[in-house]
Amino acid sequence: MAQVVVVTSGKGGVGKTTSTAALGAALAREGERVAVIDFDVGLRNLDLVMGAERRVVFDLIHVVQGSARLSQALIRDKRIDTLFLLAASQTRDKESLSDDGVERVIRDLRPSFDWIICDSPAGIERGASLAMRHADLAVVVANAEVSSVRDSDRIIGLLDSTTDKAKRGEAIEKHLLLTRYDPIRAGRGEMLGVDDVLEILCIPLLGIIPESKDVLHASNMGSPVTLNNPASAAARAYEDAARRLKGQQVPLVVPSDKTTLFGKLLGRRAA
Amino acid sequence: MKFANFFGRQRSASTAHHRLQVLLMHERSAGGNPDLIPMMREDILAAIGKHITVDPEKVRLKIDRGETVSRLEIDIEIPTPIRQTLERRAVYLR
Amino acid sequence: MSTTRPSTSFKFRSGSFHALVVKPEIPIHAWFADIDGLLTRSPGFFAGKSVVIDVSGLTLTKPAFLGLLDELSKRDIRILGVEGANPSDLDGRVPSLARGPSQRPGVAEAPAAQTPAPPPVSSMLIDAPVRSGQLIVHPDGDVTIVGSVASGAEIVAAGSIHVYGTLRGRVLAGAYGNQRARIFCRRLDAELMAIDGRYIVADEIEPHLRKAPVQAWLEGDEFKIITMN
Repeated sequence: MAQVVVVTSGKGGVGKTTSTAALGAALAREGERVAVIDFDVGLRNLDLVMGAERRVVFDLIHVVQGSARLSQALIRDKRIDTLFLLAASQTRDKESLSDDGVERVIRDLRPSFDWIICDSPAGIERGASLAMRHADLAVVVANAEVSSVRDSDRIIGLLDSTTDKAKRGEAIEKHLLLTRYDPIRAGRGEMLGVDDVLEILCIPLLGIIPESKDVLHASNMGSPVTLNNPASAAARAYEDAARRLKGQQVPLVVPSDKTTLFGKLLGRRAA
Repeated sequence: MKFANFFGRQRSASTAHHRLQVLLMHERSAGGNPDLIPMMREDILAAIGKHITVDPEKVRLKIDRGETVSRLEIDIEIPTPIRQTLERRAVYLR
Repeated sequence: MSTTRPSTSFKFRSGSFHALVVKPEIPIHAWFADIDGLLTRSPGFFAGKSVVIDVSGLTLTKPAFLGLLDELSKRDIRILGVEGANPSDLDGRVPSLARGPSQRPGVAEAPAAQTPAPPPVSSMLIDAPVRSGQLIVHPDGDVTIVGSVASGAEIVAAGSIHVYGTLRGRVLAGAYGNQRARIFCRRLDAELMAIDGRYIVADEIEPHLRKAPVQAWLEGDEFKIITMN
C-alpha cells in the first residue's frame, strides 16, 4: 500500500515541482513504484520538468470527471519504468476538481504504487488544500528567506488542521526540505541560517538542497536533476533526502563553500 | 574537470528553447479545443463498435507531439475468434 | 457526464463570532488622528479583520454618523456592524448588531467603581507552537502556549497570556475588559501586544527588551515591560 506524500510550501517558486520530480525519480530508481501528480489547475508544470510535455493525453481532471481511466492518464517515464506521471489540467478552472473525485483517484492509485507524490500548487487555495487532504506525510519546502519561512509556517498550520489525518486526530508527519541554500550568503548573514529556520518552523529536517545550476539545466533538458546529473551536489542531496523518506538514517551535511583550485580557474564553485 | 558538462550547459538552454517552441505551438493551436483527444476516442470507439464488440478498457491512446509531425497511436485489443474454433474442435475429438 | 443539482431549500442558522470592537471618542477628528498614527506604524492592523463600531454613549446626528462611516471606509476599515446605534440612522449601509451569548452581561458596562476583575473561569493550554494564520480566542481566562507564537498568528484572551517560547505574533490579553491581565514570554519579538485594548506595536518596543524574556502589564494607561532575568 502506498505512502501518500504532499510536497507543499505556501510560497511559490521555492522548488516544489523540482523536488517532486527529483524525489520521485530517486525513489523509482531504487525500484520503488512511484506516481507523481500535479495538483495545479490551469497551469501545468510537473510534466515539463519530467520531460513528458509532448505525451500528455489525459489529465487529473479527465480522470476525476470520468472522461478517462487512470490507466489511460498515467504517463510512464521513458527512463525508469516504475515512474508514472498524472498531469494537471491546462484548461479547466479550479471548480472542476472535486473532493470526492480526488479521494477516489488516490484510493485507486494506492494498491499499485509504493509512493504517491502530490505536487501542490503555491498558495492556500483549492489546489493546495486538495493536494494535502489525503497525505500521510508532508514535505514542506522552504528557502532560507523570511517570507518563504512564514508561508511555510502557515502551511504547517493548515496541515495540522485540514488534512484527513488531522481530522481523525492523528498527527501528519511533516518534514522540512530546505532548498536553494546558498552557503556563501548564509555565511555572510544575508540568508537565514539552517538553525534559524528550524527554530521557527519546529519540524524535523529532511534535507538541505544547495542552490545549483544543475537544477536549471535538468529542467531545461526535461529530466529530474537526480536523473540528469546524479553526481551533482543537488542530486546527491535529493538522493539523501529520498533515503531519509524511506526511513534510513543518513548523516546530514550542511553545504559549505569549498572553492577548489580548478573551480577558481574555471570560475566555478563546488558545493 | 568536466568539459563535457561545460558544453552540455551551453546546449541545455537551446534544448529548452526548442522544447518550449514545440510545446507552445501545440498549446496555442489546441487552445480552443482541449477535449479533442477524448472526443476522438469516443468517436473511434463508436466507429469500431459498429463492426466488433470491443472493451473500452482495451483501447489506449498515446500521443507524441512533434515539431512538424505528431504521432497519435491507437492501440486496440481485439479478441481473436480462432481460439473458439480450436476449443470446439477439441470437444469433437473427445 | 452531467448531473442535475437537487433543489435545496435555503438554510440559515445563527452563529456568534469574534470581532474587534472599536469605540470612537469625541472629538472624532482627534480619534481619527490616533487611528492614522496607528496605521502609519502598523499599516496592516485592520487588514482582514472584522471590525465592529460601538457608538453607545455617543450622541451623533445622522449626517455625523454617516460621515463617520465614510471616514472609516476611506481608511479601508471594513465594518461588520454597528453597536449602540439607532437603526434608522444606519441608512441600510451597515447592519446593527447585538452582542452574542458568549459575552457575559455586565462586564462590558462595568462602572468606573473599582470591581475586581472576575477570576478566570478556565485556563486554556496549547501544547504546540501556534502557526502563522491561526487565531486562538479564549473569552474565559488565561491562555498558555507551550511553544512559540509565529509571526502572523494571534492570541486573544480574557485573562493573561503566557508564551513558553518566542512570541513573534500578536497577543491581546485582558481583551474582554480586564486591565490586570499580563503578558509573559520567553523571548520577545512580537508584532503587537495589547492589554484591555491598550496596545504597543513592534517598533515601539525598546531595543533592550527585544529577544529577552519579558513580562508586560498596564499601569493606568501605560504599557510596562520589564525583562525577567
